[in-house]
Amino acid sequence: MDHQIFFNLHKTMGGFYYLDPGSGSILLQMLLAAILGIGVAVRLFWGKIRSLFTRKSSNSDKSTEE
Amino acid sequence: MKDRQRNTASFRDPSGFVFQQDEILYRQVNRSYQHHYDRLMSSGLYSRLTKAKKLISHEEADPISDHDAEVYLVLKPETVEMISYPYEWCFSQLKDAALLTLNIQREALDHGLSLKDASAYNIQFHHGRPVLIDTLSFEIYQEGAPWVAYRQFCQHFLAPLALMAYCDVRLQSFLMVYLDGIPLDLAVNLLPARSRIKFGLLTHIYLHASLQKMTVGSSQSPAGNKVSRNGMIGLIDSLRGSINGLRWQPEGNWGNYYKNTNYSEIAANQKVRIVKEFLAAANPTRIYDLGANTGVFSRLASDAGIFTVSSDYDPAAVEMNYRQMLEQKETHLLPLVIDLTNPSPAIGWQNTERVSFLQRSHVDLVMALALIHHLVISNNVPLPVLVDFFASLSHSLIIEFIPKSDSQVKRLLSTRADIYSDYTQEGFEQAFARRFDCRRSCPVEGSERILYLFEQSKA
Repeated sequence: MDHQIFFNLHKTMGGFYYLDPGSGSILLQMLLAAILGIGVAVRLFWGKIRSLFTRKSSNSDKSTEE
Repeated sequence: MKDRQRNTASFRDPSGFVFQQDEILYRQVNRSYQHHYDRLMSSGLYSRLTKAKKLISHEEADPISDHDAEVYLVLKPETVEMISYPYEWCFSQLKDAALLTLNIQREALDHGLSLKDASAYNIQFHHGRPVLIDTLSFEIYQEGAPWVAYRQFCQHFLAPLALMAYCDVRLQSFLMVYLDGIPLDLAVNLLPARSRIKFGLLTHIYLHASLQKMTVGSSQSPAGNKVSRNGMIGLIDSLRGSINGLRWQPEGNWGNYYKNTNYSEIAANQKVRIVKEFLAAANPTRIYDLGANTGVFSRLASDAGIFTVSSDYDPAAVEMNYRQMLEQKETHLLPLVIDLTNPSPAIGWQNTERVSFLQRSHVDLVMALALIHHLVISNNVPLPVLVDFFASLSHSLIIEFIPKSDSQVKRLLSTRADIYSDYTQEGFEQAFARRFDCRRSCPVEGSERILYLFEQSKA
């Protein structure tokens, strides 16, 4: 079981994990998060790009945002 | 110390526990949980979730600090009409509970919090919708930390729903045996190969089970152990997609109840009229409708504002009942899957952690319509035994007698010997007279059946 991370978290937060998250489950989360996280980041990135363009086209003046 | 009774299911979480005092329900918050509770309240997550009716609301009460140094606060939560358990829910109830859990986790992340458990028992149905009742389930989110509750979510929600959708809806009863959800390796052994096509099931169940097996006995922490916030969001979204993709459609024609049963339109309308009249005469506040099918008669009570548990042993009927409840936004109904010949027992730690269905709640009226022939004839429950059963449940009883001349009973008797000599109108009335007074009785015009309103005799 992953004692190290919980010890650190326990120290910083004074919280108390009573549930066993499972080492296999943590490993899988790391794998999936790495893959799926990219998708989320891209989605957010394109969302920002798109919003920049819609603002430009709806503004009569030059955009002041970088 | 005043009369304080600790809830039998509330003992594992060191953050606090639920207890009852003077008939009021409280939740103690311990000092170890203080920062998390304060963050829950100050971040705006509490007010956002309670406004959306996704989290049960509470008031803060005086700590009564004389006997416990651990106590930080005492909460007085809003109570739910009737506790129910995931093995009593229909497919869509479990699915909606799952989606709510993920929904809350997603919103929690936006407020710097995260769920530290994802147990199906943290969800209850309240005013017609699922709601999180464990206020202490939140913890401060630490960037980079994995979701502690991910395994529990997969076992409590994803695995059972997948088994119901891909194998058989009756596998839900496994939840009664496996209190912490269905073990993933068991799900893998049962799920058909075609379920592997779905990326969500492939990863969250199959790969998950393999990695669990691989890391058994390992005490090494996985190198890095970082799960970014975006990664966590991706994980939640992936789980949400997987749950959404699981569907179960009951077989058969559920459109018109009366097409498939024994009622002509006249008889059906008559029955509605009589039951309404009996309900008005009895004036109950809480009802069990047993063998309620899709809840046609339950609704006569719930539409009038009376809280009604609408139970049936057929998961398909309860599913249709629940879907209608959602569509019509009903708030006084609770559809549940209950087999009267084997109702949910008391289970868990010391067999007191989860309360049996029959002990769980008290009602003042029971409806047993189109039911007793199934119990007496199909299940061989003698009338006197049945009478005692009903007497143990409630003060009042609306019950329908279906005689042997009825075509449905004829069908039941066609394949067995007729050993039911006392199953006649006279025998029925005599059996009930031992414990009940007959307040009303009325034959259902257009059928052979008779409706009765009984009330327990004074001892």
